[in-house]
Amino acid sequence: MAAQGCALSWMSLRLPALLLLLLLLLAPGFAGASGARWSGEGTTPHLQSIFLGRCTEYLALLNPQLRDKNCTDIWEAFQAVLAKDPCSVLPSDYDLFINLSRHSIPRDKSLFWENNQLLVASYSEKTRRFMPLGDVLYGRIVDFLIWCRQENASGLDYQSCPDSEGCEDNAVDSFWKRASMQYAQDSSGVIHVMLNGSEPTGAYPVEGFFADFEIPYLQKDKITRIEIWVMHEIGGPNLESCGEGSVKILEDRLKGMGFQYSCTNNHLPVKLLMCVDHSTHPDCALTSSVPD
Amino acid sequence: MKASAGFSPVPGEEPGCHLSKKAKVCLGILLCVLVAGTIVAVVVGVLKWPRTPPHREWNGTGTTPHFSEIVLGRCYTYTQVLRPELRHKDCGQIGKAFMNAFLSKDPCNSSEQDYQLLLKLTNQTTPCHTNVFWSKSNQLAHQYTRVRQDMFTLEDTLMGYIADGLDWCGDAGSSEMNYQSCPHRRKDCINNPTSVFWDTVSKRFAENACGVVQVVLNGSISNTFDENSTFGRVEIHNLHPGKVSRLQAWVMHDIGGVHSHSCSSPIINDLKFILSKRNISFTCQDDYRPIKFLQCVKNPDHSSCSSII
Repeated sequence: MAAQGCALSWMSLRLPALLLLLLLLLAPGFAGASGARWSGEGTTPHLQSIFLGRCTEYLALLNPQLRDKNCTDIWEAFQAVLAKDPCSVLPSDYDLFINLSRHSIPRDKSLFWENNQLLVASYSEKTRRFMPLGDVLYGRIVDFLIWCRQENASGLDYQSCPDSEGCEDNAVDSFWKRASMQYAQDSSGVIHVMLNGSEPTGAYPVEGFFADFEIPYLQKDKITRIEIWVMHEIGGPNLESCGEGSVKILEDRLKGMGFQYSCTNNHLPVKLLMCVDHSTHPDCALTSSVPD
Repeated sequence: MKASAGFSPVPGEEPGCHLSKKAKVCLGILLCVLVAGTIVAVVVGVLKWPRTPPHREWNGTGTTPHFSEIVLGRCYTYTQVLRPELRHKDCGQIGKAFMNAFLSKDPCNSSEQDYQLLLKLTNQTTPCHTNVFWSKSNQLAHQYTRVRQDMFTLEDTLMGYIADGLDWCGDAGSSEMNYQSCPHRRKDCINNPTSVFWDTVSKRFAENACGVVQVVLNGSISNTFDENSTFGRVEIHNLHPGKVSRLQAWVMHDIGGVHSHSCSSPIINDLKFILSKRNISFTCQDDYRPIKFLQCVKNPDHSSCSSII
């Protein structure tokens, strides 16, 4: 009886332990199936349709002079990069895509920026006023989209994609690096830069797309001067202004490179645009042609 | 010399209008060539002959090139990127319903019925107090909703976003889109696919509106309130009195432009009267400040822009 009791209790210990062990072994499998590999958002659904639609629309409606461009070829060049390992995509992998989609940027219409994407888009008015990277064909096609291949399979990963924290050579970051380089190379005349003087991390990120992939590629012989606008949010905080902090670092760098530049705080037309949303704020009452 | 030598019958052949063997062969070949040629001509003719009659010629712009790709791309951009709360919408079906609304149909006989399925698939409720109507103020109204992403013009809704700026039409005898031309509203016919479309979706946009709704009007033109415009003809008549508490008009004047009409003008009273008969109250503001700021972006040094206090 005792033996039986012992055997029973032995069993009653072993069985749950076995089950627990099994669960522990299977758990990662379950997690792998339902959990995301990366921390960034996954590939945008219907990527190809969005891509082709935006491409054809840009050529048909926004820039009909680009008749020689073929959206199917451009997509195929892009697709070639989609086949690469999600952490092994280099900016140069997009060379063919860029070659097929690049076009000239009207003189004096380039607008570079950091930390104020929506304001830039509003102010540019879809190329009517300026042509930032998001309004150039290769920028417009993929703006706000995300893409990456699965880690161990050939299809796209719709669950998650690596961002800069996941791995440096990811598809999206490498794209914007390559696109930024091209945009800077193709810019001419007066170059405009809009910075956010209310950004806590600094108006001019010393390690950012503008600093690392645009400034180095500006063509001195094609550029007359560089105009910097430091915008402050309505109601502040006014963390940095022209001649201060990171803005000074930018000014010194440009001076060192031999560029003629100017810097304005709260460039009036942009300030007026910001006031649309804050019309009763005292900051918007100080509207005058006298710069502050 | 015997002249009849060449004309004497060849021995073995019957006399009369019979041809020489050589001539027979030549004639045979000629006949074959003729028959073959006819067959080829018929085949080529059948192939080259348009299977469907050619499109009719109209006075308006033809279907936008790559219409279906643009429609699909815009639908996905809107539902997956801009307003992901609508990501369940089936853009494939929406694209199909759009094409079926006008393909193989007489482009002068378009009707609201043609767009019913498309309307159903793209139905979208916008929150109360967010509808912005506009009349003769296209650019300004859209610049405003671009900044105020919480407000919607018709073109900021899914259906409006998809169709904005595009042209389309088909033909009764063809399953193809007519890329050459489409009926012009005035010069050809009023019940064309795009005019009927915009009337239909404008009607729905007005019917779905609730709370306080706004309209951006142009006070620098003579027909500030135009009873023939989509706003005057369709939208105000389809606002639901039980849902819309008030229509607020913003009468904007061009910077440095003419003041043709303002809130106190009789023409605005006409609008007020129409609405009051429908039990919808009306308020009006001249040069609504936020939109004034928008106008000033283009004219920052103008005196009327610097004295905004």
